[in-house]
Amino acid sequence: MPFAAARFLLIAVFLLAVAEGQNRQVRNPLANDPEAVVAGRGLFVEKCSPCHGPSGEGGHGPSLVEGRGIRRLSDPELYSSVKNGVPGTDMSGFPLSDEQIWQIVAFSRSLIAPAAEQPAPGDIQAGGEIFWGRGGCSSCHSIRGQGGVIGPDLTDIATLRRGDQLATSITKPSEAVADGFRAVEVTLPGGKDVKGIAKFENNYTLTLLDREGRLHFLRKKELQQIAYPAGSLMPADYGDRLSEKEMQDLLAFLSRQTLRK
Amino acid sequence: MKPLILMLLFLLRAMGQVTYEEIKKGPTENWLTYAGDYASQRYSPLEQITTGNVKSVVPKWIYNFPNARRLESTPIVYDGIMYVTNTNEVHALDARTGRKLWGYLAENVKRSRANRGVAILGDRIYLVTSDCHLVALHRVTGALIWDMEFADTDEGYHSSVAPMVLKNQVMVGVGGGGSGQRGFVASIDASTGEELWRTWTVPAEGEPGYDTWGGFPSKWGGAPTWTTGSFDPELNLIYWPTGNPWPDFYGGRRLGDNLYSDSVLALDADTGEMKWYFQFTPHDVWDWDANETPVLVDMKFRGEMRKVMLQANRNGFFYVLDRATGEYLLGKPFVEKLDWADGLDEKGRPIVRPNTTPTAAGVKVCPAVRGASNWMSPSYVPETGLIYIVTLEQCDIYYASAKEPVPDSGFRGTGGAQIPAEPGEFYLRAIDPETVDIKWEYPMPGPAIAWAGTVATAGGLIFAGDDDGNLVALDAKTGEDLWHFNMGHMIYASPMTWAIDGKQYVTIANAADVVTFGLFEAE
Repeated sequence: MPFAAARFLLIAVFLLAVAEGQNRQVRNPLANDPEAVVAGRGLFVEKCSPCHGPSGEGGHGPSLVEGRGIRRLSDPELYSSVKNGVPGTDMSGFPLSDEQIWQIVAFSRSLIAPAAEQPAPGDIQAGGEIFWGRGGCSSCHSIRGQGGVIGPDLTDIATLRRGDQLATSITKPSEAVADGFRAVEVTLPGGKDVKGIAKFENNYTLTLLDREGRLHFLRKKELQQIAYPAGSLMPADYGDRLSEKEMQDLLAFLSRQTLRK
Repeated sequence: MKPLILMLLFLLRAMGQVTYEEIKKGPTENWLTYAGDYASQRYSPLEQITTGNVKSVVPKWIYNFPNARRLESTPIVYDGIMYVTNTNEVHALDARTGRKLWGYLAENVKRSRANRGVAILGDRIYLVTSDCHLVALHRVTGALIWDMEFADTDEGYHSSVAPMVLKNQVMVGVGGGGSGQRGFVASIDASTGEELWRTWTVPAEGEPGYDTWGGFPSKWGGAPTWTTGSFDPELNLIYWPTGNPWPDFYGGRRLGDNLYSDSVLALDADTGEMKWYFQFTPHDVWDWDANETPVLVDMKFRGEMRKVMLQANRNGFFYVLDRATGEYLLGKPFVEKLDWADGLDEKGRPIVRPNTTPTAAGVKVCPAVRGASNWMSPSYVPETGLIYIVTLEQCDIYYASAKEPVPDSGFRGTGGAQIPAEPGEFYLRAIDPETVDIKWEYPMPGPAIAWAGTVATAGGLIFAGDDDGNLVALDAKTGEDLWHFNMGHMIYASPMTWAIDGKQYVTIANAADVVTFGLFEAE
């Protein structure tokens, strides 16, 4: 079949390029091929999910969808991990055909595609009005220098998060509190209370950022009191507060927030 | 220790804004620019650490920069926060403890190059990415404000420069002298990210200087701008050095002086208009970029106070120029291994010796490709009147190829090869700029792979990274070795000094860590 032959040729070209040491430039010959993603899903469930979970969420093996490690691997690096295993870990190579390995790579990529690559449908402008207005989002979050400081900056959020992560962050904010955004309340020796988030904390020091954007470099042993309110500072009721359409519009707005145009 | 210092809060106040006036003052407790001051003297008035007590200096904290393999960054310190960069990345640290407050790693960057540091103004810091974007971030939270692309990396441009801020401008430069691009200095509005002006370093057809290229395409000329310039606020002139013409080692297709490669350009700080230029190495075929830091000094020269610019050039000559006019005042070798020229003529033009042009078979020439000095930072001490230069004594075998040049292909007209039996030797040299006499020198035995610079202090000290991975402290007057510390890695960055809560610190990055030193205190 001509299509299969073309695929084979692409893969052969890739292997030749790797042999010549040009693998940095090479991409998955099956990238963005919906059929390859479907086929890759089947292979992934069979071969990879015992350690990485059915959706790549992790288990015995690391999560493929959180953090930056997997996202930053190139296609040839992912290919090599599947084919040859990862030295120093429990992952050994899989005796699969090149096409099958590329299918797995294509599926793995689809798991980590940032929101910007598949922006949510909806009314972007209406979503922006919710963000900057009645949703109250911008009292804590900033975009391009406008907005509050107590929540994570969202200027490039559609590059950094998947669409489903954005939705979860809005409806279940306490499921995953970003590093450096844990709520903290302290009482200073004079009795003054300061609330904010812990940018850094260990046994000796606590660096607190308050809502006004002031950093407080504190020595823990000299504080009268430290308390950690449970969960995220973000209200947990956005799922009720926003209608289905409003939620969709907000996601449409957020999934287009990228730094680089 | 004073009870005051043990008080609970060492800081509780509104976060300040860095002003142009504050930067103009030069180093204080803060260190606000790549070189500390606009004159690029790298001289701090801090004097708590002295020649008398430097023996009591100990490490205070170490910050391991995750994934770093070659830090080249000079930290910026303002109001208790330190900003350090790695490739496409900046981390803000609590300067007292070395703990990370926030980090920013640029996404979807197309290149991966070293980075020399950030600039700071107002409530923002400015970072260049390797693929020539300038990113503005909020200095307290790390929130992103804007990103602008100042050159197309697909055309071969890249950048590692610590930007220079003045007034409301952020100035950036580019690399690409080895890949056939057209260099420029661009000024970007610090508030909006819009480009204000751009000065090209290779004239276009029809412009003055175009006839110095023998018809070679301007867009391939090179003359990159990869080090941070200096600035004289009174003259309102920026001094930005330029790099080599391309192809680096073969000049047969670019006959002529190749303006404005290997030069320093004096640019009007508001418009970018070139007021004067001085070319150190006309028609360079040895890759001797002039990107060494230009140091601005007011000093007595032949009995008269002069505003001068000093530069220890990669070509082995030390230059003194009048920085108001560009007049050449003096130029002499500052290395022994220099055989490509019989000195400089009365205008400062090198008298090039025959048989020094690279050939297909190779020809031995001194200095080496890396140069008699390079971008490792020098420093200048007003009290001693000496400038302190990291110097490399080395020769190379230079090869050339007349092959048809292809931009961004890795082709440089070939290059220089080290001579195994003649390894390079680093020295820190204290040079009298009025005579170019070497007052003292401190040998740095090692593998000749360091790229470490210096900082000078009013405590009478020069701190420098050596070729063995030590941070050393020398007596600025005598060169006496007073203190050293094994940093555990080689050093490719320059030290700086700062203070907080009344205590002076010295910070330098080694290949992978940022290390801060201060006087020993019993807790």
